[in-house]
Amino acid sequence: MKIALMGNPNVGKSTVFNVLTGSNQQVGNWAGKTVERKSGIIHRANEEIELIDLPGTYSLTAYSQEEIVTREYILREKPDVVMAMVDASNIERNLYLVLQILELAPRVVIGLNMMDLAKTAGITIHSNKLALALNVPVVEITAAKGQGIEEFLAEAIRVGKLKKDPIADDVPYPEELENRIQAMERLLSDTIWATKYPLRWLAIKRLEQDPEIGQTWKSIPQTNQRNRSTDPCCDPGDPVKYELQESVSLPGEALLQAYEAEGWNKDHFEMAVADAKYKYISKILPEFRVNENPVKRTWTDKLDEWILSPFWGYPIMVIILSLVFWFSFVASAPLGGAVSEAMAWAADVIVVIMQWGQMPEVIQSLVRDGIFAGVGAVLAFVPQIAIFFAFFSLMQDSGYLARAAFLGDRFMQLMGLHGKSFFSLVSGFGCNVPGIMATRTLEDPKDRLITMLINPLIPCVPRLGVMSAVVAAFFPGSRGAFIMVSLLLLSMLLVMFSALFLRRVVRQKERSAFVMELPLYHVPTIRNVLLPTWQKTYSFLKRAWTFILVASIVVWVLSSYPQGVPMNETWAGKMGGWLAFIGQPLGFDWRIMVAIVFGFTAKETTLSTLGILYGVAADASQSIAQAMTGAMTPLGAYTFLVVYMLYIPCLASVVTTYKESRSLGWTSFGVAYNLILSFIIGWLIFHGGQLFGFQ
Amino acid sequence: MDRFLQDLKPGERARVERIEGGGALRRRMMDMGIVPGVELEVVRCAPLGGPLQIRLKGYYLAMRRGECARIMVCAPNREYSEPSLASR
Repeated sequence: MKIALMGNPNVGKSTVFNVLTGSNQQVGNWAGKTVERKSGIIHRANEEIELIDLPGTYSLTAYSQEEIVTREYILREKPDVVMAMVDASNIERNLYLVLQILELAPRVVIGLNMMDLAKTAGITIHSNKLALALNVPVVEITAAKGQGIEEFLAEAIRVGKLKKDPIADDVPYPEELENRIQAMERLLSDTIWATKYPLRWLAIKRLEQDPEIGQTWKSIPQTNQRNRSTDPCCDPGDPVKYELQESVSLPGEALLQAYEAEGWNKDHFEMAVADAKYKYISKILPEFRVNENPVKRTWTDKLDEWILSPFWGYPIMVIILSLVFWFSFVASAPLGGAVSEAMAWAADVIVVIMQWGQMPEVIQSLVRDGIFAGVGAVLAFVPQIAIFFAFFSLMQDSGYLARAAFLGDRFMQLMGLHGKSFFSLVSGFGCNVPGIMATRTLEDPKDRLITMLINPLIPCVPRLGVMSAVVAAFFPGSRGAFIMVSLLLLSMLLVMFSALFLRRVVRQKERSAFVMELPLYHVPTIRNVLLPTWQKTYSFLKRAWTFILVASIVVWVLSSYPQGVPMNETWAGKMGGWLAFIGQPLGFDWRIMVAIVFGFTAKETTLSTLGILYGVAADASQSIAQAMTGAMTPLGAYTFLVVYMLYIPCLASVVTTYKESRSLGWTSFGVAYNLILSFIIGWLIFHGGQLFGFQ
Repeated sequence: MDRFLQDLKPGERARVERIEGGGALRRRMMDMGIVPGVELEVVRCAPLGGPLQIRLKGYYLAMRRGECARIMVCAPNREYSEPSLASR
């Protein structure tokens, strides 16, 4: 039996799914989409049930990727039962989706959640009367406390086993619409389409000229599907792909044209149908909802007074984001250090074993300096990313993330971006990898792509560390602060410029709409925070490790061959030498170019590379930067800082961009864009500075 | 007097008269419950011309001014006269 879990965003669907499936979850992506696909096999009452958690959606029209996925699943996979989750505190809009589901899938059970939240707002819902009004079974649940969830499932199984489809009450449409629907129904009732879909739904969608009507899709199981049992947590996803078999136009074209002449075009039908559904909901609402105190101020109202206040909202946001940053990127440093140390220790142990086995020196070096050092450098970021994701889930589930988007939207509007991009860009200051991954909350794929591509222009904590060390060496005292602020302003300016520029490149004509729900605040469950954290961290590691391993080996080979020569004689060193001609217009010598080339794996290694090249034995960043002062003018140093801040994103963020955009082309474009931009800006600063006589 | 949603001050209530334009944005608004006849309240505005926080059907919505400029509203107490569907 196939059961689908559906509902609006923020109704607690994932809580129910997590409780029901426990650890038997398969998390992946929908075919060709970056929307998360979660499914699980459970056994109840001698029945094997495939439970699928469809993405949260407001309707079954195709607007966002989430809605497309949900709609395609319902239309093409035809689940036996739909478990529709409804938020009792926001029942009107939630029932709108339920009415749409009922037109398409006859076997529906409603799970009424958030009754406690509704009570605090002075609303009481009588579930038995709701069930009577719609003629659909209703189960009361408190998802956060795990109450009623098994009953909800049991009811769904009962409905799934019924011999005949239950009949829910139809939405009464106004006469002029009803007549037109019936006329279309008569035309379609004899076609084979009427056997595939409910007739009424088919007629309405035909009137709305829905493109899916008339298309036959064949599902092709993926041939390279890996054995799922070996990896219960994160399967590669994409279990089914669809292929358009044929597309025919249904009868009724003449009728549609006649209606259009009467002023009933497809937009008009859409509006009339939606209007009728909302009117129907308003009509039946008094039967089951008692609104004792409609003006009662809820917790959300009181909190929003501060959090969304035009005056206090921003300081509060700064405090919250600082706390998140401090925990994720500063307080987690010892954890990251521990990971590096553990990796170094493991490398030592293995090298000792290899020495005992008399392995050649080269292989020992490959393991120690190549694989373990390279992979270790990336693994050291994992605690940061995990802690950041935990906070991300916490903010998303509690409802704060939508508020941050609300407050940040004005700034994003300047760049032509969506308010939700704000959080991704701010996260970039911590680390670009979670920043890029945070773009998943964006609905519009082009907004997502732009946000992803501009994210590396924001200097992350490791880059800021290197930059501040160089600034301190070249520009002592209060001048340093001024220089640092100017660099940050430059980065902001370029982020803004790039966003506007990329909007033309990706051909985003229509600005995506900013129509976003501000959900009521609620306390998320620990499980709902920790489970996605684990899944995201695990899938990051799982997807990235091959790339990181290969890249680490490549970098090791380049930087240690030919063997036994000084650094500038190795292949990577020679590459820096060849690249000196690029550095020349910027006033860089080959050493800077070599350091920049090496900085690709992890940007914080740039300083230690420079230390080796300038012959500074000490590993302290201060003394390395001091050594640079002898070789460079302040103007040269400033140019270096700018280029360093902007050039190629680090290895981990390139891999993440590839994994999130699923496009090699856009990933290479992003890398090239960064390189070219940093060169142009560096050139402008170096030559502009000389022109104005700065040294 | 007919006005647009973006002209409303915080705390003001109004009734949706019609939504101008079509396409994905109007469908989105419909999905969120903004249909002719619905009563809504502007709760607050983000500073510097940022989005508006709107309350309708017992929940909160954030919308940009540009989008609010497409929603024509009238006074809430005025009896809602059913416009003929063709004019919407």
